[in-house]
Amino acid sequence: MSKPLEGVRVVEVAAWTFVPVAGGMMADMGAEVIKVEPPTGDPQRGLENMQHYHIKGPKPFIQIPNRGKRSITIDLRIDSGRKVLYHLVKKADVFLTSYLPPLRERLKIDVQHIRAINPNIIYTKGSGWGPKGPKANTGGYDSAAGWASSGIADLFSNYCDEGAPPMPSAFFDLQGGNTIAGAISTALFKRERTGEASVVDVSLLNVGMWALAPAIVSAPFRDPDTPLPSRKQAGNPITNYYRTRDNRWIFLVALQSDRFWAEVCQLLESAELADDPRYQTAALRSENREACIELLDGIFRTRTLAEWIDVFSAFSGVWAPAQSFAEIHHNAQIRANGYLQKVTSNEGLDFDLVSAAMHFDGDATAPQGPAPEVGQDTEALLMESGMEWEEIERHREAGAFG
Amino acid sequence: MSTFKPGQRLKSCICATEVMIIKYVGAAEISCGGVLMANANEAVKQGKAESGFMKGTQMGKRYINDDGSIELLCIKAGAGSLAVDGVALAVKKAKPLPSSD
Repeated sequence: MSKPLEGVRVVEVAAWTFVPVAGGMMADMGAEVIKVEPPTGDPQRGLENMQHYHIKGPKPFIQIPNRGKRSITIDLRIDSGRKVLYHLVKKADVFLTSYLPPLRERLKIDVQHIRAINPNIIYTKGSGWGPKGPKANTGGYDSAAGWASSGIADLFSNYCDEGAPPMPSAFFDLQGGNTIAGAISTALFKRERTGEASVVDVSLLNVGMWALAPAIVSAPFRDPDTPLPSRKQAGNPITNYYRTRDNRWIFLVALQSDRFWAEVCQLLESAELADDPRYQTAALRSENREACIELLDGIFRTRTLAEWIDVFSAFSGVWAPAQSFAEIHHNAQIRANGYLQKVTSNEGLDFDLVSAAMHFDGDATAPQGPAPEVGQDTEALLMESGMEWEEIERHREAGAFG
Repeated sequence: MSTFKPGQRLKSCICATEVMIIKYVGAAEISCGGVLMANANEAVKQGKAESGFMKGTQMGKRYINDDGSIELLCIKAGAGSLAVDGVALAVKKAKPLPSSD
């Protein structure tokens, strides 16, 4: 079967992670994604190693957003560069940008400029804070517009001495890119049906809020004195998490706990738990939750995570060990579903990328290839588009490619 | 004798390397692994690689001579390395990025 976005051409004028991730996902799904970079390259290429991985590792901040793309360097500050961009835009389905309104205006790549060249193009903007309101012209990265602004950093700061734990890298950028890819696909569908091409807006602020929707929606109705959620006070002690002897964590998610209580007691080999009248029903376990959890805490501390994994492999309810990032690479369920996909970088290094979380027709969605070298497809792209070498040379002389 | 011109694609006779000529002047000979490169659509006569020119080429990198008058873009990586009139080419340095964290 063909890939979902085969034949779709995307011109991406975007930097960093959030918006480029959408381009990368669409490349995974078969689109031709042309990444237009300034002559110095996407500034993301200047990021030092933020993952403290061994020097032989891939650069996740380049590979994850930009896998499978083609790259052309264009200096959009000059006429000749813009001509090259417009030439590419003419035959594109999607224009994708992270640049803010003042810069888009200055470079003449705003909606009206691009639509003048291609009236039917789907124009997509990813921003930190959204296209309206007082911060419409302000830059935003995900730790400010997503993490800090969604309520989660404030929530987590209640649990740690040093404020919230550090945000995992690109935490909201990746969800944002996912959202943009979905929005573009929706706009492409609409255009097929109605001929109308949309202007699409996605912001990190909105993405962050979406992830925290339950807490946000209930906030106006919440008594400010309500105690913070705590695992020592979990209303359902078998929908909770417990520390093991080797300081790892195991999560049980036994909703409708009356179905699972006897089984859990059996797995934990605890007659004490099974027989105690204080814990016989869900209601009773909630009423006596502190003592119940203390007891469960004591039991879980007696074995290592590996031992508990063995024990719970027989459990009919939902559970999981809190696995480490390294352990993910050896997980049979993940491998069976193709959620890690092997890619070889231009340097010849083999590594795994996480697949986009949407798979079609039984096939894993695999990257088309690694991230491109900056400007590696400049000449090839223009030649393919029908531009004669002489014209490419004239653009080069004029400084269009930097 | 091959004639070289910009826009032309060349392939190595001793490895998988393929390049596109981006800039070219004069009549210099372009080699990979010490062996003259062939037109991409020519039948390749397997040559014998010279050990001094087996440093490898990398997809997407641009290789230039001293004065930048000759530039080759690697469009397929290989084991050999590029030279012009027997002098090894250097990787074209990307413009300096603003330093970032």
